Amino acid sequence: MTAVTDTGHTPLAPAARTTRAWRVIGRYGSLGMLGILVAIVAALAPTTFATSDNVINILNQSALSAVIAMGLTFALVTGEFDLSIGNIAGLSGVLACKLIVDAGASIPAAFAVAVGVGAAIGLLNGFIVTVLNVNALVATLGVGTMAVGVNYAVADGRPVGLKDPDDFLAISLGRFLGIPYPVWIMIVLAAVLWLLLNRTVLGQSMQAVGGNPVAARLSGIRVERVRVVGFMICGTLAGLTGVLLATRTAGASVSAGDSYLLSAFAAAFFGSAVLRDGQFHIVGTLVGVITVAVGFNAIALIGMETYWQYLFQGLLLIIGVGVGTVARRKTAGA
Amino acid sequence: MTIESARGTPVELVDHTSLLEMRGISKRFGGLQALDDVSITLRGGEVLALCGANGAGKSTLVRILAGVEQADGGEIALDGRVVPIESPQRAADLGLNFVHQELNLVPKFTGLQNMALGITAGRSGFVATKALRGRAGEVRELLGYDIPLDVPVEKLSVSDRWMVSLARSLMRPARFIAMDEPTASFTQDEADLLYGVIRELTTNGVGVLYISHRLEEVLLVSDEVTTMRDGRVVGSHRSDRLDVVSLTRHIVGHEVEEPTRHVGAKDAARGPVRLAVRGLGRKDKVSGATFDLHVGEVLGIAGLAGAGRTELARLLIGADRPSSGTMTLDGARYAPRSPHDAIRAGVALVPEERRSQGLLLGESIDTNLAVAALGRARTMFTGFSPRSSRRTGRRLAERFAVKTDDTSRPVLSLSGGNQQKVVLAKYVRTGPSVLVLDEPTVGVDVGARAEIYETIAGLAREGTSILLISSDFDELAVCDRVLVMRHGALVADVLGAQATKALLTRLCFRSGEVVPEDSTTR
Repeated sequence: MTAVTDTGHTPLAPAARTTRAWRVIGRYGSLGMLGILVAIVAALAPTTFATSDNVINILNQSALSAVIAMGLTFALVTGEFDLSIGNIAGLSGVLACKLIVDAGASIPAAFAVAVGVGAAIGLLNGFIVTVLNVNALVATLGVGTMAVGVNYAVADGRPVGLKDPDDFLAISLGRFLGIPYPVWIMIVLAAVLWLLLNRTVLGQSMQAVGGNPVAARLSGIRVERVRVVGFMICGTLAGLTGVLLATRTAGASVSAGDSYLLSAFAAAFFGSAVLRDGQFHIVGTLVGVITVAVGFNAIALIGMETYWQYLFQGLLLIIGVGVGTVARRKTAGA
Repeated sequence: MTIESARGTPVELVDHTSLLEMRGISKRFGGLQALDDVSITLRGGEVLALCGANGAGKSTLVRILAGVEQADGGEIALDGRVVPIESPQRAADLGLNFVHQELNLVPKFTGLQNMALGITAGRSGFVATKALRGRAGEVRELLGYDIPLDVPVEKLSVSDRWMVSLARSLMRPARFIAMDEPTASFTQDEADLLYGVIRELTTNGVGVLYISHRLEEVLLVSDEVTTMRDGRVVGSHRSDRLDVVSLTRHIVGHEVEEPTRHVGAKDAARGPVRLAVRGLGRKDKVSGATFDLHVGEVLGIAGLAGAGRTELARLLIGADRPSSGTMTLDGARYAPRSPHDAIRAGVALVPEERRSQGLLLGESIDTNLAVAALGRARTMFTGFSPRSSRRTGRRLAERFAVKTDDTSRPVLSLSGGNQQKVVLAKYVRTGPSVLVLDEPTVGVDVGARAEIYETIAGLAREGTSILLISSDFDELAVCDRVLVMRHGALVADVLGAQATKALLTRLCFRSGEVVPEDSTTR
């Protein structure tokens, strides 16, 4: 990074040219992978892939992963981890269904309570990490496990289904301007969260805390508070994901959110290699989620076995992050 | 058997052949001649103390001996044989051991486990626990100190940890040990134990190189004292021929006037008090600090490493909580609970460690310039405009002469001096009324240094009160007044015009007992 200070009009030495090439690869490599992937699949399945229905379908499949992964991005930006998001999603989904079935709560009330529980668990995570000074991995693993326990207590471990599911299902199935509600939710949230991270003092403070907590504190930033807010945003969006997931089937089960934990981490880390040098950010996370969804979609369209999905997702993560890391080292070392 | 105490009656000296000799060592760093034809001699079974002010070249000399740095000229002889020491490994193989202030122990390991580190495993590949314990027992006997072997070192006191570190270096046969400021964080009792251990070592023929700022201690433990000044040896003397006053004179270079005459002759035309500090203390690090900082004043704090200056600065900005004392800022009570409180009240600290405490190394110049302004925001739930922030940042970069054509570049693309300007600028951006600078020109080239002094002077003219902590006593010439800190206490108050390097150095070393009439003691 330090070596290249040319402004473009001086003739480049071969080493500097290599450095610049590596920087381009580091920044745009992941995005390029998405492009190549789209091109290959479009060629292999010309009639089914590049249709507006399929694009909407891909986005719809991305929506929930995107919501939970964007939440996780906030925890990661502040330099923390949250392993409880999958469990939060499971708990909030079950809670929402249970409230409607057993307590006769209205859908908005059930939504509010379930999302609020997500926020409260995030607050608890933040409290344990900042006040008790417990490592985030341990703290969120513990809190997540406790959430599973609560979940079993609430639902007796049995799946909960709504008896009169139409209004509930409409949240997932309904469309506005031909685009499903979950996609709208993803788009609106992405915009709001992008603004929060890039256009507020809070978001900038989060990035400073993630960059160097000691310097941030000596600069007057309230590091603990910033971290707690990061965990709360993370928990809130995990809660929202859980409820939205329940609206897909009008039912919920204890383990429904589990698969989202790893996919959210994969998307956020893949996204950290998009456009920036290893920093977590909203657009990157979205690109990560969508890249995975395109891959899954292609695997289905081409007719490959389901296990390819896992191989693809793991490989994508390693290549995305690996190329970014190598590129950073090349540009820094040259 | 040779030395009970250097203060005691002259004991019969056995014919000591020189154990270690460094002859004509020179070392240059860029434009700075760090060592110039330095020679020292250490006999087996003796303690040679190395004394000198900050920057006299003691550390560089030790680093060369340890193989960390290579000398430009000169030679090192062990038992009269010239030996090249090209790496720390080589130094260890020669039986040269170094106990630094940074102990490099594994906190979770027991004393024995730590001592076993670096000892090659038995032939089987397993750690030969019994043999190790046996060896550790011998070392314990050699030191005459009951080192706790089976307690994790994180549970040990500072001095016990130091002893473990010393014992580790003795697990292999040692001829020579260098101790760098061993007693810096020891209590008196612990220090006494160390003196006993040193006596045991020398009785066994080990040569000890002892570096300390505490002159009474130096005279107590050493047989000979070599003083250094500005990279040269200025003299070597038998310890029993020295006292604290004469030793101070050797360190400083010439007879200096009594400091008491300067104190009290304060500048009459001084502005109103901005920050009043009364009896501020924290545990054993800072005790009863009392001073006034006036509007537009540049107040220096001189002291040796470990005198408690950084700890005092951290109390001023609420990074640590004081255990005693009060502060008022512009007449109102000032008790910051965090750097956020301080920066909102208008008190900012430019920290000592630029890279670890000052900068977000992965970010752009723009982002770094904005960070303290974020910290000053009353609520975090307000908008942030990158464009106007960048504009403000660019103006600041110009005002502080940060040499870059584009502030969106990574901050790491700047030189050290320009990085320091960025740290300074980000705090000035918050409009502080009190700016504390902790060693602001360490690792800064001469040109940038002058620009930083210019900035400090300019801020003071505009009414900002400056507190300048520095170990570079020439630098303190920019101050209106200089306080001297020693062992956690402010011990002298000197007018800037009279704060010569010689006087400050002397005040930093001098202890209260030596000059009973020292009315500068607060």
